[in-house]
Parts: sequence; C-alpha cells; structure tokens
Amino acid sequence: MKKKKYDVVVVGSGIAGAVLAKVLTQAGKDVLLMEAGLQAGMAFKPEEDYANYQSYLNQFYESTIKATNTPYPDITDAPSIGVLEIEAKTPYDTGYLVQLGPLPFASDCLRGPGGTTLHWLGNVPRMLPNDFQMKSRYGHGVDWPICYEDLVPYYEMAENEIGVAGDVASQQGPDMSRDNYGADYVFPMEEIPQSYQDQVWMKNSNGLEVNLYGQTYTINCISMPQGRNSNPNNDYRIDGTKWDKHDQKLKLTYTDENYEVIGSNWAAYTGERCEGNASCVPICPIQAKYNALKTLKKAKRKHLEIITQSVASTLMINEESGKISGVVYKKYKEAASKEYTTSVARGKIYVLACSAIENAKILLASNAANSSDQVGRNLMDHQVFLTWGLLPEKVYPYRGPGCTTYIPTFRDGEFRKDFAAWISPIDNWGWSWPTFAPGSDVTNAVITNGLFGKALRDHINDVVPRQALLHFECEQPPCPNNRVTIDPKYKDQLDNFRPVIQYNSSDYMRKSFEAAKKVSDQIFAANGIEDFSAYSPTEADYVTWQGRGYTFRGAGHIVGTHRMGSDPATSVVDTNQRTWDHKNLYLAGCGNMPTLGTSNPTLTMTALTFQAAEAILQQLNR
Amino acid sequence: MNSLFQPAMPGKKNRKRRHQMLFDDGDHTVCGSITSLDSLRSHLQTAIEIEHATIPPYLCALYSIKEGTNPFAYANIQSVVMEEMLHMLLAANILNAIGGQPAINQPDFIPEYPTYLPHSDDAFLVPLGKFSKDSINVFLDIEQPAAKCAPPQADNWHTIGQFYDAIKHALRHFDHITPGGIFTGNPDHQLTENDYYGGGGKLVKVVQLSDALLGINEIIGQGEGRNGTILDTDHSLFGEEIDYAHYFKFNEILLEKEYRPTDKPQDSPSGPSVKVEWDEVWNMQLNPKMADYPEDSQLYQKTLGFNQTYMALLDSIHNACNGNPRELDQSIPLMYDLKYKALELMRTPIGDGVMAGPSFEYVESRG
Repeated sequence: MKKKKYDVVVVGSGIAGAVLAKVLTQAGKDVLLMEAGLQAGMAFKPEEDYANYQSYLNQFYESTIKATNTPYPDITDAPSIGVLEIEAKTPYDTGYLVQLGPLPFASDCLRGPGGTTLHWLGNVPRMLPNDFQMKSRYGHGVDWPICYEDLVPYYEMAENEIGVAGDVASQQGPDMSRDNYGADYVFPMEEIPQSYQDQVWMKNSNGLEVNLYGQTYTINCISMPQGRNSNPNNDYRIDGTKWDKHDQKLKLTYTDENYEVIGSNWAAYTGERCEGNASCVPICPIQAKYNALKTLKKAKRKHLEIITQSVASTLMINEESGKISGVVYKKYKEAASKEYTTSVARGKIYVLACSAIENAKILLASNAANSSDQVGRNLMDHQVFLTWGLLPEKVYPYRGPGCTTYIPTFRDGEFRKDFAAWISPIDNWGWSWPTFAPGSDVTNAVITNGLFGKALRDHINDVVPRQALLHFECEQPPCPNNRVTIDPKYKDQLDNFRPVIQYNSSDYMRKSFEAAKKVSDQIFAANGIEDFSAYSPTEADYVTWQGRGYTFRGAGHIVGTHRMGSDPATSVVDTNQRTWDHKNLYLAGCGNMPTLGTSNPTLTMTALTFQAAEAILQQLNR
Repeated sequence: MNSLFQPAMPGKKNRKRRHQMLFDDGDHTVCGSITSLDSLRSHLQTAIEIEHATIPPYLCALYSIKEGTNPFAYANIQSVVMEEMLHMLLAANILNAIGGQPAINQPDFIPEYPTYLPHSDDAFLVPLGKFSKDSINVFLDIEQPAAKCAPPQADNWHTIGQFYDAIKHALRHFDHITPGGIFTGNPDHQLTENDYYGGGGKLVKVVQLSDALLGINEIIGQGEGRNGTILDTDHSLFGEEIDYAHYFKFNEILLEKEYRPTDKPQDSPSGPSVKVEWDEVWNMQLNPKMADYPEDSQLYQKTLGFNQTYMALLDSIHNACNGNPRELDQSIPLMYDLKYKALELMRTPIGDGVMAGPSFEYVESRG
C-alpha cells in the first residue's frame, strides 16, 4: 500500500507505534509506520523472522559482557544508547548521548523494530491513584490532568494487548487493593509462579515490621504482574479492543473463549509459556515475553505501509495554519552506510512515538510544540538503588524470569512529602547487575584467591546460588533542569542531532537512598543475609547524602520530556496527547507522563496510547 | 465437510474456529475388530502408543540438524513433533473419558526401533536416524493420507486415518448402545489447553462423544490434511501463519519447495524454493542401542543417562494422564534436558565418521 498521503504517519515501531498501527488500521485508517532500525528486524515471514531473531540470540550468547542492547544491532545511522559507555566524570561525549552532567544519565532504549520491548523485563504493575496527584497530596512534581479512574478502561486494553500474567487478588499494598481493579477483574493469564528464591525471602520478610525515621512499616511480598506467557485465566472474558464507529469510542469486546496465548512471532508453538530461561533482559529466547512486534503483526496489512531504515529528522510546519505538513526522514541504504536519501512523509495526522529522548530531539530540531519551553525538560528515570548480600542457604537464582515478586510497602505514604517512593522487586539474577556475577565470581576466585579445579567449582557452587539482590526503584520527580537539548556541535553520521543530556539527583532522591538502605538492612537482618553492598566514588552516579555514599543505576524508564497537562503554558500535550501547538501532531510514549510513579512505565504508557489512538480516530472522523 | 479447512475470516483465531466444526461422519456402524468397550479402551491405548512411536524418530531427525542450519526443515519438523505430543494427550483424554487408564511408562510402551507402527499392516519399518531424504520418506509413509474410499480399520490398518475412523465408529456405537453412555470417566483426569499448549491445535477436554470426535478429527486433520486439501488450519492476517498437515510439511522438505494454500494434495508444491542443506546434519548412527557399547564405557553411560531422562519424561506424562494434570509442567525442563543429552550424543564420534545418538530404550532406573 504505497500512498502519497496517509491518514496517519507514525514514527517508531515500539509498543506505542505498534498499538497505534494496529488500532488505526483495524479501524480502516491508512497508516505509514516509519522505523529507524534495520529492515531485517521487521521480518514477518516466519523463517526470516526466526533467522533474524537467532542472530540477536547468537550475538547475546557470544558477547562476554551482556548489557541491555547487546543482542541488537547498534547502527551508526540510528545509534542506540549504550549503557556500558557510561562514565563517572562528566561532561563527556564518547557515546551516543552527550552527557553534560552533573551526573550521567544511566538508562537506554532500543532503536529498532519492536523498540525497547525487545529487551524490557516485562513488569507491568499499574500506577497507584495517588501517583496522579503528587503535587496536591505531597507537594512534589505536578498533578496529572487525568486521574487513575480515567485510565482504568485503557489499562484493561493495555493488559489485554500485552497479555498480562498476574494475580489481581494479591495486589495489596498502600493505595492498592481490589478496588483499583474492580470487583471481578482478572488478568488474561494466571500469575507466573513465584520462584523458589522468592519463597525463601517471603518466609522471613512477609509481615516483617521495619522502622524508618520513627515510623513503622510492614513489609509484604506479592506476585508481580508481567507481560509474559502463562496459563490462560479461565475467568478472563475480554477478547480485544475495537473501534466503535457509532459511539466514536474504543471499546473492549468480550468472548466465551479463553485468552489466546500469543507465542513467538516465528512459530505459534514456541513461547506459549515462560520457560524460565532467565535472560528476559536483554532477550527472551522463545518470545514468551511480550514484544511490540506481536501487536504489529495484528495490524491490518492492507492499511499499513512500513518503511524501515528511515530516520525521522524534522517536522515541517505550515506557517499559516500551524499544522504539521510532513515528516522529513533520511533513509539509509544499509547498516553503517553513510549514504542516504532525504524524503518527506505526509499524512493528515502525525504521531511521534520513538521514545522520550528521540521525540524531544525531533521536536527541538523542528522548533515544534515548544511554546511552553517544556520540550526536553523533566527527563525522569527510576533511580535504582541496589543492595546485595549472601543468604545463609542456597536459593538458586536464575530460575524463572527476572522478577516474580515485589514489595509494594514503600510505593505510597506520607513519607512522599519527604523522600521518594519506591517499588522493590526481588531480583532473580544474583549479583549480575552490580558485580557482573557470575563471571566476576569466577575471575575473582581464580585471580584473587588462586582457586582452580574442584576448589574453584566448590567455591562457585557455594557462593552463586546464595546471591541475593534487592532493588529499590526510586521515583524521580520532574525537574526542568533534567533535560534533553540539541546542539549543532553534536550530530550523528546522517547529520541528525545527538541528544545532549543534563541530569542530576536531588536531595529528595538521595534521602530515599538512605531510607532504602535502612529498610534493606532490616530485611537483610531478618533473612540472615550478609551484606556485601558497596558504593564507590569511582562509579558513575555515585552520590552522597549526610556523609554517606550511594550509587544509583538507571532503570531504563525514560520518562518526561514532553509532558501532558491542562495548561498550554506548562505542558506540551493535552489530555488527548495532542500537542497544544499543532492540531495534527500527537506525541506517544513515556514522554507524555507528567510524573513517574513507582511502576514500570510501559503499561501506563500503553494505556495512554490506546487513549491517543481513540482521540486520533475521533479527529479523523470529525 | 469442506468447511473444516476453509480459511477463517481475517482476525478470527484459528484454533477456536476449528473446534466449532465437526466432520459429518456418515452413518457407519462398522467397528471391525473393536467388539467391546474393553477392546475400545485397548485400541485407544494403542492410539497413544502409535502417536508416541512417531516421536523418537521425529526427534532424532530434528536434533541431528546442525544448529543454525535448515531453519525451514527444523521449524516444520518441530511443529509436527509438538502436534504428535498433542495427539498423544488427546488420545489419553479420550481413553480417560471412557474410564480407561493410559499406561505410558510401562516396559512395552516404547517400541524397539526399527519398528512397525503398532497394529498397522506392517508395510514399512520406522527407524531412528538422522535427518535425511530416507527418513523424510519414512515420515511421509507415516503421515500418508487415507485414500478416499479406504475403510475404517482397527487393526492391520494402512493409514492412521483408517485406524482413527474405526475408533470413531466404535465410540459412537458403544456410546449409543450403552445405557448412560460410555463417557463416565473422572473429568478431573482430563488434561486441558492450560496443561498443554503448542502447535496449531488445542487439547480438547473430553467429557462426551462430540468432544471425543472433535479430538480425533483434530488428530487426523493435523496429520493428513483430510478432505482433499493440504491445509491443517486457517491462516491469519499476514498470510504466513498457514499451517499445513504433517504429510505436506514433510513433502515441502523433501521437494525443497513450499506449498501455496491453494495447492491441491496431488500437485507438487508451487510456492517458492526452500533451502534444505542435507549435509548440515550430525551423522547419527542408525538405530543406536545401549548394547552397542561396553557397560563401563562413557558412551554407554551417556546413552543410559539419556534413556533415564526419557523415562522420567514418560513418568511425568503418565502421572499427568492419571490424575495429576499439573505434573505436565514438570516435563518442560525434562524436554530440554532430553534435547541437550541427545545433542551431546550426536556430537560424539564412534568411528568411520559416524556419531552416537539417542536410543530411546526402556530402562528401570531414572538416574
């Protein structure tokens, strides 16, 4: 389907772009989907898809250091952020990001077909009602222009689309109960069984009372809803999401059949259940974990044109009407080639859906949507504080997916006036994140302790199965100085801008690291865990608070940069996620989120995208 | 009758649709050698054994394909294996439904390869061997569609379709003549789609005659692509999810050419060429046996280890089919273990350029 002008031009084939492509084409609209990454990743023929995915897997298996983007092609024509490039001392511009500091921004995303859902973990807790009212309740950040209840039907669409496995009844914690979901609601699939390790943690942690700054909090450990395949829930009756022409609404449809589990993209009989391969990040070998290409495959092909290796560069703006009249994009011939052609894609409506950083970059490069001066500002991430230690007994990490249990205790409370809230996943990956275990355990044992042969094996067998990691994803509030900018000095080889980042960690965040450490100490004590956590000034994102040092890490949750609001003076998009400045330009993705909450943002962002798709259909039909 | 294999409307989900449709079986009353309910049960046990008997040869061919090569052949064979396992469990469900007890880990459950298919007309032997034109030819024999006028045949059958036709008629007959019907088994023993998944099919819970017929039609449809088409199921939006019956999946490999959905069974595939690298294969010895090696040799121990894992797998399937459906979950790590052990054997040279291989023999111990 090649057309001169489409109903909608969507930039980016991650989950936001895929949901838009699916919903809009199923409603009969002609969509052009533009993707910066390689054509090979967009294969829909099973064999090609399989071959391409195997090449990702091989690259992952063969690499000695396995980071989030390791399996995927890093194309110089559309570079992705590499988390391994991070340096302690700013400013520097050795990687894709130009890091001005004072602290380096530590998260990445993936530019390629399917976007970051290829390497995401897949945890999909919903946000809490209070998360939408941070300013009025706790005096930090801003309030959202919508409330939790407004988003509930779209959450249900997102949970259907992603295929969430989880147990609604166990989602109990501060500001979270059955009421958040409704009396009869269940997830499409049953919960992923909590790992053996989790059972051991839970024995000594459930009901544990911890003291923090004179207050007592009770720890509980609950199962994590996740976008990964499990047994269909026999009580789940939602079939899908459908555009209702008459009511001009997106609506859930219902069925008597069970939820149909979607296996891998290359073969339906692969990946119909999580097999516990434990390499979810960066790659699920069987695609039991959801990725956006599964959604894209459901788009109506006759209404969809996909162009790949096409990097959106700027938006053209009609000076009279203020409307967008085209997306200028550069199509490169093959990976790493400097040859490209410049073209313009035209539609009635345009959507940028290519991550908070790239969206901001394109808007800034086009001088678009920025009458509020908020574009690129309020860059947020969960600043992840880690503690790790050795359990007294073997718990065998790496069995099951990355996380099956979390502690919701500090997701909400009056303390949010004072320091950041956090969610605490219990990680199933030993010390791999902070220390590069188990590889580093072997290296240390051989080089430092001179072990070899049976003694080496015994040592590894003793240590690695006892490795415990606790994880505090602390909510960063919006700050105008944490931002993405562009500078003509810094461009990539297609002459597109590279993102220039300014970033910091406020006292509000640093105090939460102190608080998290105090909670961690008490949980470790209750579990008999010997603490091995160590934070060094030589590490990137090492900060101090009250004389003590803490290192935080990036969560990969890149949020903010073009926030939604009710006032055009202080926000970039309205509640429909349409830019205030251009009547035919929508933005999709985590960039729209005014605050972060303590949930992994993909689910909320996907819910928002369904809402945006509905608004776009309403506008097209007007 | 043709409606079974008509493509569903785009957006319709294939496995759901397939199960809305039943064959019109006509008004046969012939049951052949199935003369009693007990005999019917024992024939269903045979059905389980037939389905199982195909799995080791298919797995040998699959595992002998060198990693990263032959993606088309690998995917086709793998999908067939997944569906054979489904068929085995469907047969077990039917047997459970009529008050039988599937026996899956008994000494005589595993045939001695090379073997004739249980209760067949002994027209051909099925060996354990590597992926080759010879083995694909045997697989085509196994999955050969029934001739249009071939009668139901409970024993000495020529095609699996004939065998299942006989079972269908017997199910109808005994359910009809038995007061209260024959579907009196404990429904808790039924495996459901939540217990087993994979392939284009669905594990039908069998509590009445129509469920049983649905299950059998699924077995025949997936294997032979009956009703004069090559399709096993519908295809969805992007056109790539067309699923052909086993016979035609194997034929695509042999002829190195893809079918198009409109091709007729008697035609050669008219689709694009497929690259089959017949040499990119571990040269596994034909019909390996533990007895080939001295008992104190590593190869003996490795082959034994493989067989112990295989027995553990059969144990878990046996238990799952006898009241503990959730035990099927345990079989997934065992399947991986089985694969790794088979691959290890296939990478072990035993001389003259030949490699060892999995022997699929009954052993008492489980390691």
